[in-house]
Amino acid sequence: MAEACQIVRKQDLPPPGGYKPIPFKRIPAKSYFSGFTWIAGYIGMTTVSAYLYYLNCKQVTKANIEMRSAKMAIYPMLLAERDREYMKQLRRNRDAEAELMRDVPGWEVGTYYGERVYKLVPPDALVEPIFHEFYAHSDPSDWVKRTELKLRS
Amino acid sequence: MTITNDVVLPEESELTVQEINLSTPTLHAGAFHLGKYCEEVNNEFMLCRFEEKDPRKCINEGKAVTACTLEFFRKVKKTCLAEFNQYAHCIDKSSGDMGLQHCRKTQGVFDQCMLENLNLERPPFGYFTEVRVHATTRPKPSIEGKAVYSDVTPALPENAEKKPARFGSRFYWMTE
Repeated sequence: MAEACQIVRKQDLPPPGGYKPIPFKRIPAKSYFSGFTWIAGYIGMTTVSAYLYYLNCKQVTKANIEMRSAKMAIYPMLLAERDREYMKQLRRNRDAEAELMRDVPGWEVGTYYGERVYKLVPPDALVEPIFHEFYAHSDPSDWVKRTELKLRS
Repeated sequence: MTITNDVVLPEESELTVQEINLSTPTLHAGAFHLGKYCEEVNNEFMLCRFEEKDPRKCINEGKAVTACTLEFFRKVKKTCLAEFNQYAHCIDKSSGDMGLQHCRKTQGVFDQCMLENLNLERPPFGYFTEVRVHATTRPKPSIEGKAVYSDVTPALPENAEKKPARFGSRFYWMTE
């Protein structure tokens, strides 16, 4: 048994000439700009872009003013047309209400059985009706069209 | 509805006049010259509308505005139709909000035509956003004065004795 185990054992030793030196020296990444250059670049770029923003702002403001001018110029004409149509529609609404409530005894148009809604204004004063009242006798699809105008346009 | 039978509404026939049957880009294209051409009637109408706060009282002024606008666009149609159409088309197709800043070339052509034929100059930048003073012959609506009540607490007489406060001011750090 003792003969069988007679093999040459190799001891773990340093390579001939010894181990290589351990590379402990720090090798930093290549830096293209110094810290002050970065800060200067940041300030410079911000200044330039702020100036460009200012120019753009001026342009946008100018365009807005021009747009508003154009709208104000045609506003009287649109308002005149709208007023006429509005008064026509008020009359139509009043007639529709009279027709609808014809069979109800004691009903007076524009009042609740003769009781006025607004008691402190003179009887001839035109109190503009709210949206739902204005559309009360209209087709529901027209009502939807008007309420969702913002979503559609 | 709040509109009773006592409220006088004008008849449909009183309100029916020829309306301006034009699209938004067309109106936008003519807006500046239109505003200049109809400045007097427009100001009259807007003053009436904002003073009276009642559409029923400004029907005639509104009709004048519409008539003036119609007259203006008829004149444009007679003289500068091609240039005007070109400009309106440009405004329509250049941006989503019908901005005027994209169409300077066609605007120049249209302005030149208007100046030559109708002697109508394009008003300077921001002209319609300025405050305007308008002289009118229409009487100013009377402003309702302050209400006077019979049971008002009588004020102190002019020569009443006004002693200094007995305990000083509550806000002594502010008033002293």
